[in-house]
Amino acid sequence: MSIRFLITLLILASSILTACSSSTPTTAIDWSTVKSAADGGGMDALIAAAKAEGELNVIALPDDWCNYGEMMSVFSAKYGIKVNSINPEAGSADEIQAIRDNKENKGPQAPDVIDIGPAFGPLAKEEGLLAPYKVATWDSIAGVKDPDGYFYTDYNGVLVFEINLDVIKDVPQDWADLLDPKYKGMIALAGDPRSSNQAAQTVYAAALANGGSLDNVQPGLEFFKQLNANGNLLPLIANTGSIAKGETPITFQWNYLALANAESFNGNPPLEIVYPKSVNWGGFYLQAISAYAPHPAAARLWQEFLYSDEGHTIWMKGYCAPARLADMIQRGVVPDDLKAKMPAPDVIKNAVVPNGDQLSAARELIKNQWDSVVGLDIK
Amino acid sequence: MKAKRINGWAIFWGFLAIAYFFLPMYGTLDFSLRMKRGVISLQAYQIIFSDPRFWEGFRYSTLAGLITITISVLIFVPTVYWMYLKVPNARPVVEVITILPFIIPGIVYVFGLIRTFSRPPLQVTLNPLTTDILIVVGYVIISMPYMFRAVDVGMRSIDVRTLTEAAQSLGSNWLQVLAYVILPNLRIAILSGALICFATVMGELILASFLVRPALGPYMQLLGLTKAYEPAALAIISYTLTWFSLGLIQFISRGGATQQVTGR
Amino acid sequence: MTRRKSGHTHPLIFFMSIIQSLLRTWRKHPLWNWLGLLPFFVFILFFLIIPSLNLFSGAFLNRSGELTLENMAVFRNSNVIKAYISSLQVSFMTAAIGSIFGFFVAYAVTIGNGPRWMRNVIMTFSGLAANFGGVPLAFAFIATLGRTGFITAILKSICFPGSEGVEVCPFNPYDYGFSLYSLTGLVLAYTYFQFPLMVLTITPALEGLKKEWKEASANLGASNWQYWRDVAFPVLTPSILGATLLLFGNAFGAYATAQALTGGSIPLVTIFIGQQIRGDVLGNPHEGYALALGMVVIMAATIVAYTALQRYASRWIRR
Repeated sequence: MSIRFLITLLILASSILTACSSSTPTTAIDWSTVKSAADGGGMDALIAAAKAEGELNVIALPDDWCNYGEMMSVFSAKYGIKVNSINPEAGSADEIQAIRDNKENKGPQAPDVIDIGPAFGPLAKEEGLLAPYKVATWDSIAGVKDPDGYFYTDYNGVLVFEINLDVIKDVPQDWADLLDPKYKGMIALAGDPRSSNQAAQTVYAAALANGGSLDNVQPGLEFFKQLNANGNLLPLIANTGSIAKGETPITFQWNYLALANAESFNGNPPLEIVYPKSVNWGGFYLQAISAYAPHPAAARLWQEFLYSDEGHTIWMKGYCAPARLADMIQRGVVPDDLKAKMPAPDVIKNAVVPNGDQLSAARELIKNQWDSVVGLDIK
Repeated sequence: MKAKRINGWAIFWGFLAIAYFFLPMYGTLDFSLRMKRGVISLQAYQIIFSDPRFWEGFRYSTLAGLITITISVLIFVPTVYWMYLKVPNARPVVEVITILPFIIPGIVYVFGLIRTFSRPPLQVTLNPLTTDILIVVGYVIISMPYMFRAVDVGMRSIDVRTLTEAAQSLGSNWLQVLAYVILPNLRIAILSGALICFATVMGELILASFLVRPALGPYMQLLGLTKAYEPAALAIISYTLTWFSLGLIQFISRGGATQQVTGR
Repeated sequence: MTRRKSGHTHPLIFFMSIIQSLLRTWRKHPLWNWLGLLPFFVFILFFLIIPSLNLFSGAFLNRSGELTLENMAVFRNSNVIKAYISSLQVSFMTAAIGSIFGFFVAYAVTIGNGPRWMRNVIMTFSGLAANFGGVPLAFAFIATLGRTGFITAILKSICFPGSEGVEVCPFNPYDYGFSLYSLTGLVLAYTYFQFPLMVLTITPALEGLKKEWKEASANLGASNWQYWRDVAFPVLTPSILGATLLLFGNAFGAYATAQALTGGSIPLVTIFIGQQIRGDVLGNPHEGYALALGMVVIMAATIVAYTALQRYASRWIRR
């Protein structure tokens, strides 16, 4: 082998290598670190990158929760991106756990975006599970927003009584009415208060109705103890089936879930939604993007879609009051039929909402004391 | 041939069992027919049958069930056979192993399986086919206690050694002995195990849900979250279709095997 | 054997002959037979042992990944002890009830000469029911025996004219303290899948009772009762015990039905474990693994007891 041959070989090899490396664009964006559409080169670049990724993994989104079913199909049709719906039954804790479990898994089991309860936003951010991103409409988002964009309010609701009118003729109007003996064996929570966000907040709301405060949940536990002692409380978890059957004719839900039930039942059975006067308890959820998202661009496009007028309108059809509602009403882009589906603006504005620490403390107390105070024991 | 006397007690227990099976189902059935107010209607059923996700779920779970049964038989029958024939000392070890999926709480095992195989070095979750294989394997393990016990009891009641010697003296090799001598004699046992196996797969929820595969279980759960009448209809439908499939399996594997095994 | 000029055997040939004779004795060694079970063991290793160990090792780790025994403190929690006790209670009761009921049903369809159609129906429905559980089963029972269930409604409608022309309807079970949402209700629901499991498991064993034995014992003058006491039951005992153990484990590891029917008001270990492992911010997954390990210990102890019992029972089977 001559020296000349070796040199030719070397030149050939290095030119092939540089050709290979230069075919990958040196301007390739790592969308997992992009903090806004503008940073990534504009909406068109985002849409193109998302389409290239081709898929989006969402988690814990039942079809009838805030009309997510329509949200997913409209998004999918509009951008040609396949939406994988992981575990619709998941709770907020499951969503966070799914991110933790799938850090190295880029398959369809790893969530790209999450919709979680208020306590979980700061928790997930602290653990480094979230990626900051501010949507184009960031400034018009009302409600809790992480200043760096790690999580942001998506929609609001109010806790209501959901009453099955086939069974209940004399509708309770407020918390105190529930203790009446005529509701014996008719009241049930829509979850296990030791683990369910909604059920825990029900107890929390009951606290306020009985002399407690955002820092004192004990009266809530006492109320349910009383309810159980009177025989009014059923140790059953109310779900759509048991509500329709009439087995749990009185339960507590977010207004949008109760309204979605009413729409789905279509009068069979007829439901009444009661907004208790003594306590106007508000609840909201947070949107966030996973730091380990397998499809970072699609995740960011999803958020842009959710927070666009189009996305918000779909949420409104599901009775959820979206975060930019005030802004949209002001600009007059909300049709009247959707305005009718929203709770009165005052209701949302004046709703009592605990902050993250209060909520965590309350949930901890409820989890530890539920068994001993309310004492639903084996007979 | 002696005339068989119908045993009064047998009738009693039999009808009690059938009542226990049917009464709760009747409650669900009744509710599922009431979607239209005041009228008995099949509207809930129409909604389910016209949902492509239902059919996808049913196809997927049925296929998974059949594959699970096949793989279970392929793994357990030779193993039990070999154990009876050559390695009776392995019995305690094997029994403990097959009872493990029972001892280990289901939720722990499923989570362990998912977590082991969804990250490097053993990652199989990126590809739908390999994920499906993982699910089937999970099903095989979950139904192992039942399937193994069924095969074991069946093997116990046939004289393995004599049959093998006879077959081998006629010139068969191991494979032929297994396929043509042992397997047909185990028909009832395998069937009984297959029944449970299939029903397990049809109703399994956690594995399919977390691995995001379109099985019937997750679909049922999805409906149950926000609908009232459709889940009841779906429960009846899935019960009936599964029962039909089981009946089919039973029918296909009929053929006088009862007489051979029990001499009855 | 070739010899070198010096008269010694070539080392290679010598070596090979050692190997050959080793192989010959090795092949006759019983250990060689265990290789036939190798595919099974490998399958189990990869798909059962490793995933389970993966999770159980978490019982001895803390959040930062260090080895620790602090998770064991969870067993001192009175709620946890209550959960274990009620899990065991439910499991024992439903295993006993399911196994007795299931045995008689299996008897009915095999030896009891039940009609052929009844056998087919019961076998297929057993396959179905054995795995029916969770929310659909809970709902089925609610729709049957709940406050608005159809059987409750039928019972409530049985009315007699009472004194002063007021209708008396004395058969409302809820007036007598019955509630589906209690231990009673849970046992009823669990039995739905326990007894079919027993039927499926014990039928092959009942089929295996040879007719000749009954005939022989009748020939020797034994009554039906004596036959059962001295021949049939001793033979069946290992299978019955094994099947009951299966039922026990089945109930012990179940939770979806309990959760759906009683809303978690009856504390069960599996519900606790689910809550912890699923990563509730207020839960510690490592404590969950410790709880699961506790379950494994209990089940292992039960199996040891079963093996001992089986050995005791088999003393009476003269082979």
